[in-house]
This record gives sequence, C-alpha cells and structure tokens, in this order.
Amino acid sequence: MQSQKITIENLHLSFGDTHVLKGIDLEIAPGEFFAFLGPSGSGKSTLLRAIAGFGPLPRGRILIGDEDVTSEPPWTRNVGMVFQSYALWPHMSVWKNVAFGLEERNTPREEIAPRVEQALETVGLAHLARRRPSQLSGGQQQRVALARTIVVEPRVLLLDEPLSNLDANLRIQMRRELLALQRKLGITTIFVTHDQEEANTTADRMAVLDAGVIQQSGPPMELYDNPVNLFVAGFLGSANRIEGKVITDKGRKMFVAQGGITIPVPDAEPEGAASAVFRPQNVHLMTPQAAAESSTVCFTGKVTHSEFLGSLIRYSLDLAGSEILVDEPHQAGQKVLPEGSEITACITSNQVRILRQ
Amino acid sequence: MKHAFFKSAGLAAVVALALLSGVSARAMENKLVVVTSFPKDLTSVFKKAFEAKYPGVKVEMLKKKTTAGVKYIQETASNNTSDLFWASAPDAFEVLKGDGLLAKYQVKAKGIPEKVGAFPINDPDGYYKGFAASGYGFMWNTRYLKAKKLPAPREWEDLTKPVYFGHVGMSAPSRSGTTHLTVETVLQGDGWEKGWALWKRIAGNFKTVTERSFGVPSGVNSGEFGIGIVIDFFGFSSKATGYPVEFHYPTVTTLVPANIAIVTKAPHPKNAATFIEFLLSPEGQKLLLDPKIQRLPVRPELYKGPAKNLPNPFTGGIGAKVKFDVKKSKARYNLVNSMFDVMITYRLDDLRAATKAIHAAARALAAKPNAEGQKMLDQARALVAALPIDEAKSLDPAFAAIFKKKRKKATDKVTGRQAEVEQKWDEMVKANYAKARMLAEKAAGMAR
Amino acid sequence: MAAQSRGQWGAAGTGLAVFILLMTFLVIPVGKVIYVAFVDVNTGRLTLLNFADFFNTSLFRESFVNSIYVAGMSVLFAALISMPLAYFTTRFNFAGAAVIQTLGVIPLIMPPFVGAVAMQLLFGANGSVNLLLDEHFGFTIPFMEGLNGVIMVESIHYFPFILINLSASLNNIDRAMEESAQNLGAHGLRLFRRIVFPLAMPGFAAGAALVFLKVFDDLGTPLLLNVNNMLAPQAYLRISSIGISDPMGYVISVILVAFSLLSLWTSYLATRGRDYASVQKGGGGLMKRDLKPWEKAGAWAVIILILLLVLSPHIGLLLLSFGTIWSFSVLPDGFTLAHYGEVFSTALPYITNTLLYAGLAALLDVLVATAIAYVVWRTELPGRKVLDYMGTAAVAVPGVVLGIGYLRTFHDFNLPIVGKPLASWWVIIVIALMIRRLPYALRAATAALQQVAVSLEEAAQNLGAGRFTTVRRIVVPLMAGGIAAGFVTAFATAAVELSATLMLVSAESDAPLAYGIYVYMQTAAGRGPGAALGVLAVIIVGVATYLSHRFVERTRAAHEVTARDG
Repeated sequence: MQSQKITIENLHLSFGDTHVLKGIDLEIAPGEFFAFLGPSGSGKSTLLRAIAGFGPLPRGRILIGDEDVTSEPPWTRNVGMVFQSYALWPHMSVWKNVAFGLEERNTPREEIAPRVEQALETVGLAHLARRRPSQLSGGQQQRVALARTIVVEPRVLLLDEPLSNLDANLRIQMRRELLALQRKLGITTIFVTHDQEEANTTADRMAVLDAGVIQQSGPPMELYDNPVNLFVAGFLGSANRIEGKVITDKGRKMFVAQGGITIPVPDAEPEGAASAVFRPQNVHLMTPQAAAESSTVCFTGKVTHSEFLGSLIRYSLDLAGSEILVDEPHQAGQKVLPEGSEITACITSNQVRILRQ
Repeated sequence: MKHAFFKSAGLAAVVALALLSGVSARAMENKLVVVTSFPKDLTSVFKKAFEAKYPGVKVEMLKKKTTAGVKYIQETASNNTSDLFWASAPDAFEVLKGDGLLAKYQVKAKGIPEKVGAFPINDPDGYYKGFAASGYGFMWNTRYLKAKKLPAPREWEDLTKPVYFGHVGMSAPSRSGTTHLTVETVLQGDGWEKGWALWKRIAGNFKTVTERSFGVPSGVNSGEFGIGIVIDFFGFSSKATGYPVEFHYPTVTTLVPANIAIVTKAPHPKNAATFIEFLLSPEGQKLLLDPKIQRLPVRPELYKGPAKNLPNPFTGGIGAKVKFDVKKSKARYNLVNSMFDVMITYRLDDLRAATKAIHAAARALAAKPNAEGQKMLDQARALVAALPIDEAKSLDPAFAAIFKKKRKKATDKVTGRQAEVEQKWDEMVKANYAKARMLAEKAAGMAR
Repeated sequence: MAAQSRGQWGAAGTGLAVFILLMTFLVIPVGKVIYVAFVDVNTGRLTLLNFADFFNTSLFRESFVNSIYVAGMSVLFAALISMPLAYFTTRFNFAGAAVIQTLGVIPLIMPPFVGAVAMQLLFGANGSVNLLLDEHFGFTIPFMEGLNGVIMVESIHYFPFILINLSASLNNIDRAMEESAQNLGAHGLRLFRRIVFPLAMPGFAAGAALVFLKVFDDLGTPLLLNVNNMLAPQAYLRISSIGISDPMGYVISVILVAFSLLSLWTSYLATRGRDYASVQKGGGGLMKRDLKPWEKAGAWAVIILILLLVLSPHIGLLLLSFGTIWSFSVLPDGFTLAHYGEVFSTALPYITNTLLYAGLAALLDVLVATAIAYVVWRTELPGRKVLDYMGTAAVAVPGVVLGIGYLRTFHDFNLPIVGKPLASWWVIIVIALMIRRLPYALRAATAALQQVAVSLEEAAQNLGAGRFTTVRRIVVPLMAGGIAAGFVTAFATAAVELSATLMLVSAESDAPLAYGIYVYMQTAAGRGPGAALGVLAVIIVGVATYLSHRFVERTRAAHEVTARDG
C-alpha cells in the first residue's frame, strides 16, 4: 500500500452563488493522520468530499501524490471514503458489501475471498460476514464500512465524521482503534470532525476551518497553545479573554485592561487594542500573601458561580466586569469556595497570548 | 369545521330519506314496464310520444339484450313485474310463447296487412304482433371504399371476392338474434350445403366477428372496416345520422318483423294494450321514420308519404325471394349457432389463413393456368366448405336437442354431449383448414 | 393507547354494527360466489368439475391467458413510460419536473373506459394517426388491434401508479449509497444495476403489482373496445346472457379474486423486509446533475411525446364530444354544441343519479372508515383487527365479482316498503360503490387519525370529557381535513365506477354517469353525447381531486401546531 501525499492549491468551490471554499492551501504528508476540524458550515466536509471527487467542479488544484486529480470523476481516484452514515448497502450482506470494490476492479475470483476475509479480520468482524447491515449495531456497521474501504488498498483514506453517530463510550474506544489501524496500515488519512477532543487525541496535524477558510493548521498542541486568532483559541478549548490594549510603559510593552490588570508582553508585540487570551487551567488560585511573593500576574475578583466537573472545580470570577473561568483540580475533601468570596487568581505571563481577532 | 361536517351529514340524511320516500311512492304509480332489446334511440322516441299522449302513465324501459331479456322474464315469472316484451327476433318470442309466458292479444288497429314479403306480420297463434319490418344486407363506408378503391357489393357472392379480403365485419348468430336470422335466411335461400359454403367464403374475408350486433355498424361508421353485414335499420339510421355510409339489400334476403307482446300476468295490462295500439296506429308508425330509428313501418299507406325514402317492402321488391320457414329456423336454432361458432368464429384465424392462400393461388393460376394446380385449388376449396353434418341431421330433433345452450356448458349430461360433438367438429374443421391452406400454397407454387 | 373500560360499550356497539355491515355486504356475497364455483349445478355437491370445464374450454383458456398477458404487458408499457420520466426528475436538475408531476395526475382523472372509444378513433386501424401514417409513409401500426387496444388504453391510464412509486423510491435513496459505490469504482450502468435499481425495486414492485391487479380486473375498457376474450368481460357476458345460474361466471370470479390476492401478496413480499428506508439515514435522493443543452432538448422531446400520448384520450374525447361526424378521417367533419345540449337536457338524470350515489357512498365510506380507524387504533376491543382486515380486503374484490355476489345473494330478498328485491333497488349500487371505495377511505382515515396524538385525547379525558364527547369535539375535528380528502377521493372514484355498476343496474332511470356513457357509446348517434358525458365525468373527477389536495394541504398546515406539541 503506497500511501501518498495530498496537496491542495488555492482551491475555491461554490454551490451555485454560494462561495463555500475560499482559497484552501494545504499539504498533507504521506502516512499522516490529518484532521479537518471546524463548526458545521465551515466547509470541512465539502473539502473532504472535493478530495474524493464529489460536489461541483472546484477551481484550483488537488493533487494526490504527483497526480492532478481535480477534474477526475470519483470512481477513478482510488481514494477510500467512509461516509458519516456508513452507507452500507442494505440489500447486500456484509461480505458482498466488502467485496464490492474488488469486484469493480475486476479482481480475479480466487483473490477476492481471502482479501475480504482479511479485511474483516482486521476490523474484527469475520464472524458476521453473512449478516445484513440491518442486523448490525452502529459500531459494527462502521467497522464494515472501514473494511469495505481498506480492502481495496486505497492510496488515501477519507473519514467523514465517522464517530458522530456512535454513543459516547463507543466513540472513545473507536477512535483509539481507528488510530491503531491507521498506524498499522500506514495510510494517509484525513479525518473530519467537529469535536476538538477527537481531533486532539488522534491527529498528527490538523487544520481548523471556519467559513470556508483554513484558520490555522499544525500539530494539535501547537494550535492549542499558540492559536493565531480568537476563533482558533475559542474553538480548541475553553479560553478566557480580556479586552484591553498594548502600551509601552517605561520602555517595556505591557497589556493593560480594566481592573488594574497589567501583563508584561514581549517587545515584539505592536501597540494598540488587543485581547489577552489564556486557559482556565493555567490560572491558579492563591492566597494574597503567596500571590504577592510570586512573580506571576495576579488579580482579585469575586466568585460568582462554581461548577463541580468531577476532576476539577470551575469557578467563574468577576474581574472588573469580565467573567474569568478558573479551573482548580479537585482533591477529595477539598472545600468549594462559596459564591461571593474574594479570591486571588494568578497566571504566569508566558501563558497569556495576545491576539487581535 | 365540525359544524360543516355535521351539516353535510344531516343534509345527506335528509336527501336520502326524501329519495327513499319518493321511491316507495313510485312503486305504486300508474306505470308501464317494458322489457326491450331496442336501443335508447328508439325507445326514448316512443316513450316520449306515448307519455305525451297519455299523461299520468310513466313508461319504464328495461333495456336488456334479447337473450338476457328472455332470461329475465323467465326468471322473474313467479314474481312478474314486466308488462311488455319488445324485441326484434321472432324466435325469442317463440321461446317465451313456448314457456307460456306471453298473453294472447287481439289487435284493434285496422289497416295492417297479413304478410310483409313472405313473412306473416303477426304470430298466427295471436301472441305477438309485428310493428316494423326489417331485412338484411350490407352497409359500407363510402370514404373507406373510395380510399381503398373497393367497389360497392351488390350480392352475397360479391363478398367472397378476393378484393374484399380483411374488409368485412359481422356479428355471430349466437350473439345476435338478427344476425342469426341473416345466416338462416341464406341457408334457406341457397340451401344447406351451398349456404354454408357461401358463409365460409365470406367469413374468410372477415376482419372481425363482433361481440354484439351493434359492433358492426359501429365499426363501419368509424371506418374500422369497410363493409358490414347488418340489419337494414342500422344502415339507415347511421346514414340518417350523417355518417358517410350506404345500405343495400341483396336479392337473397328476407323481411322479418320486429315484435311486441304482452307478458302473462302483466301488472298493468290495460296500459300494455294501449301501448300496442299506439305502436300500430298511424301516429305511432310515423315515429319509426325518425332518423335515429329508420325501420320499415307495417302500414303500407306511409310509403306514399313520410316513408317514401325507404324501400317499400309491400311492393315485392325486397325479401320475397326467400320464403322464411320459422319452424325450420326454430328447430335448428342452437345447432346453427354452434356450427357457425365452431366452424367460423372460433377458427377465424385458421379460416382466414386458408382463404388468403386460396385467393393467392387463384390469382397465380389465373395468370399461369396449371391443371394440377387447379385440381389442388379445387380440393382446397372443398375442404374449406366441408360440413360435419348434412341438412337432414340438422333437422333431426334428437340431434338438435343436444344443443341446449348458445354457449358451451359441460356440466349438463346432455350438454356433455354437446361439448363432445363440438370438440369433434373443431378437430375436423381445424385439420381441414390447415390442409386447405397447404394445398392452396402448393397450388400457387405450381403456377410459377 | 387509551385503554379504558368506561365508554367501551359505545365503541363495541359501533364495532359490531360495522362488522355486521361488512359481513352482509362483503364477506357473505363474495363467499357465496366462491362457494357456488365449487358446487355441481346438478347434484349440489362440492366439486372441482366447474373448474375442469373452465380449463377444458378453449375460449376460457384463451381468456385466462389473455387477461394475464394484457395485465402483464400493461405493467411493462406503464413502466416504459414511467422510467424515463422518473429518471429525469430524480437524476437531473430539470425545470420540467413540474410538468412531469402534472403528468402524473392527468391520466388518473379519466377512467380508462371513457377514453377507450376516443382512442379507437385516434389510433385504430383507420384512425387519425394511422390515416396520416399511411398517407405520408405508407404503413400503419396496429396500436388498437385486439388486445393491443386494451394494453394501450390501460398503460396510458395506469402509468402514474408506477411513476409515483418509482420516483418516491428513487428519492428515498440515501445519496451516500451512490457515492460510496462511486468511491469504490462503480459508475454508469453498473452502478445503476448493482445499487440504484435494487434499492428502488420495492417501491417499483408495489406500484407494478397494483397496476397488474387493476388491469386484470377491469371490465369497462375491454367491453367498450369490443374485446371479449378476457376474463372480466366473459364473466359479465355469461351472467348477463345466460343468467346467474351459470357456473362459469363464478369460476371466473374465483380466478379474478385469486389473482388479485396474488398481486397483493407479491407486493407485500416485495416491500417486506426490504424497507430500506429504515437503514438509509440520509435520504436526499440520487445525486442530481445539470443537463447539457442537447440532453435538455432530448429530455423535453421525450416528455412532450409522452405528454401527447397521455393526453390523447382526453383530446380524442373532447374532439368526439364536439364533433359532428367522425368517420375514416383524421378529424371530425365539423363541430357542434348539440351533444352537450343533449347531455344537459335528456342526460340530466344520469348526472343527478351519479351525484346522489357517489355522494351517499362517499359519506357512508367516511363514516364507516372513521369508525373502523377509531375502533382499531384507539380502543382495546378484542378482535378489532378483524374490522381492519375486512375493510382493506375489499380491494381484492373486483367490481364484477361483487356485482355477481350481490345479484346471487339478494335477488330473492324482497324489501318490504320498496316492493322489489334488494338486488334491483338503486341502493344496492350505492352499497357496492361504498364497499369498493372503503379500503381507500380507511387508509385516509387511519392516516388522519394517526396524525392526532393520543395525548390530545387524554388531555380532554383528563379534563372530564367522556369518550364520545372526546371523539366528537377533539378527534373528528382534527381528522376533518383527512376525512374530507377521503370523502372527495371516494366520491371521485365512485362517480366513474363501471364494473359493479354494469352488473347491478336494472333500470335505466337508476343509471349513473358511467352506465350512461356505456349505453350511449352503443348507438350510432350516441357517440357524441356519450363523449360529452365523459368530459363531464372527467371534470367532476378533476375538480374533486383538486379539492382533495387542498384539504390535505390545509390539514398539514393545521397540524403544524399540534406537531409542535406532540
């Protein structure tokens, strides 16, 4: 199985008058597990389908390996796609479903049977070969869909929200299995999801899309820690945001905001209106004395609300009009601070990102 | 919305009740119930005129095919609600007369002759009365003949000519009383053997055998086929309605009266009598000249005036050649029906194939005469004309009695034999036609 | 499901009344017909002799084969007409889709026998089309020869059943079904054969089975085309010329019923277990693409051709109704309003009879159907399913058979006030119409009832309303749109029913429209007025169909409110 790289050059796609993909540029390395992440309507499924050859003809180029497939019909591209609904054909047994692609490629008869069996073995469903799709559970159907795709040894694997129809526990188990399978097969894989946890846990690299444009692409942690704009910051996890501006104070750049918040920022940072963004788990509650002694940025505020989330307690702090979320890890026996209490929260300045939209 | 629902329900209920009461009131009115096989075109004219002349009497026309009408009167005999039976074929009346279901009646009207053509107008036993006469012949569509360059036929023999192949239509005697009389007329006029031979040769030129007698004029009117063998008023009324058709009586034909009779134990005998008198009065007779009806009246004086466009049956011009023997006809009625169906109706395709081959052979031999070929052709013709029984057998009461019903019904022990006999005939005829065809084809081959 | 013992008595009484009605006017007459077919006329004992006679007679064997042949070919041609149309609407973004939808309705508003004579004049051996063909090209096509005529008229009339079912099937296919196959390398004909067609089959089979059944049972069309070597006309002719004692008519009836049941069974088998809709999640239909200009032109050409074909009976009927003489010519000689004049003067009783019979029948239908629907779906009465089965079973009984059954069962049964046997009273026609339309009314009532959430009834009962009040004030008003639609549909189809009517009309004064058309078409001068009556019948049915759609739409809008709560 020769897995290929995928290159997308300046891709534009419109449905009638609606411009859905606006200038997509992307490179996916061979063997990579790549995620498209974004809210509904962002264009991630459209992009995936465009790679598979479905939808209106786009402007720009799609290359698989070195081959320009932009205007090729779906049935010649040899990209394996698993659909969100699995799309198993109800009038065929599991076996026939999986054998379909091989039959279309005129694979000799003697070869089909062992390959189908092998594929079913790989997904652990060899014993259900004679069943009909209507007799299978959701998870089993998904595996059959997978088997159907990998049996033809495609150069690329496309997964369109494969886990969204499964219940929560199954989802976690399945994403691990998917990842393991991908590693074993070494096939270039694109995985579309709206769930950042799925993307974070499985992808080598990912691209966040919004309104038909790639906002940022790179490894998950990179995107998480260094978002380039507010959208990415907010999409990949909870984020606190304070509006303010960057000024120069005694030769040093500072971010200032209401309530006396002052955060030192790198000198490279230009002056002007900006937002300071930081994660709730990077904020720590401290006693005022400890706060004074530390070199972190601290502020005080009143607790307006608290949520018990199992592994942590999430406090909502009122900070001069802005609401700040603070996540404290929960130890058994620890008391929850009551509403109305004044607390001090601190954060190290390098955990704060300054973003302008 | 519920108000509308209940309002309409209530309204419907009221309407239903009103009609129910109307119906029951109707049951006791001054009525006249006529079981008739005549079409609306005829019955409505007489109904309107009669009701106009005798207000207060409501005439109800129960239209049924002749056989159905006879059946109906037979089946409702114990609880009879019919006053009059009004139909064409005299044999239907004979059947009812035989069952004792007709009442004798003495006509008061004067001026109606004894005979029309060679046929007595009224039942000599006094049960049923003739009110109009009809003869048989052919009607044709002038446009059709013109387009296909066919000459208009004048005699039965003409219809056997090759030029008419596939252009002739007729009903079957088993399905139409009038057609039966036509067939029987030719059998009596030309003789049993020659008559059947003639029918087979004409049938070889058939386009179709229609299910009802009306199918024939209907087909000619619409141009489905060019020539139809019909009763005269079909031709006259079609022409009078405006269709491009003509009608002609061949020399061998007979005039048979259409009849009316009072049913035994009629609920309104007085009204029934009045109707018959009306029908035979000059006023009533004139109604027969309505373009939609066009039947020959039995009052000779009308032929000088209103009926002068119709052929006059009383001057001997038509229908005198054949002296129609009603008893003979009755004796072999079902048998003749059976023979026609078995030899012609059900084997029409085979007959036509044989006829086509014979026409082709005759044409070839006319161009290039060949003695042996001619012999074969004659043999072929003989095979087609061959009959399973002779006339004597047809008149043998024991044999004729086998044929009880017009259609096959093998459950009866007697009719069990009918099915057997018909099956034998069928085999013979089928074989004959096939052989005839083969011979004719060979004969044609000889002429090259 | 409201399961209360209070108020059960009212429901039980209703159920019992309906049961007696259906037993008397459906089960017993049909049962009698079937029984008589197995009885030896001479000895009165049970026997297969009648069937043996039937199959030993060449005419009947021929009729049997012909009926199957005609029904089968009609399905075939109807499918041939439907497939390109279904293909265009589901496969392409095609502006003519609206035209095709209308096409789907036009044939259904004219019963086949009404157009039969007109078709004869247009397509017959010397009809308009063949005269033109012969004149210009020197050949003719035997459109209407013998059985061909019946096939042509029936397939043009019934193809909408297949079109609608096929289109719905295709539209229900999850787009992903096709895409996943394309993804794995299939396209074009292979894709169609392996994926699209098998998934669309159940819907198609259901439509095809229904068409087969209806054509097999149709009496009016073969009669008017003078084709008598088929089963239904043979039954009619036997009974009307030989009488109700003739066993052959009954044998034929049994065969007709058996085949009807067979068709329904086939349809059931085809759709059972293949309810692919439940496995497919997306729907969305097949992928549509745009048409290239020459493809568009081709598509329109096919549609216009089919449209002309489909409209030909209507056009022919109109021409005939306005024409003076139409004989061996492409068009009538001249035009006149006289036929319509005749219709409105002398033919008025036909029209009033029809309005009365169809109105009463439809009214009874909705009453009985609503009662059955309520008893079956909203009570816990034991054996209530039987009512549902009985009500639906009527669809397998051809009109001819019902007519024969009534004649046999009721001809001795004299009614007290009216003074004549029930079989001769006009009310029997109403009853026959009602029974024949009941399955459709029942389906409409059931659908309407199921749209009314049980919680709405329970809320009323919780507030103190008894069962009858609840039905009257809550259930029926909410069902009203569906009931009205059911009424209108029952009315429209009852107004042009011919099969049972032909058997049961005993006096012309009792005759409705369909019978009037039949009688008129049998006289030389009657074609014109007969056609005018036919046009009237078409208008009645057309208006009724339109009204029915409006009612259904209004109900749907009204139920938007309840849907939110439900």
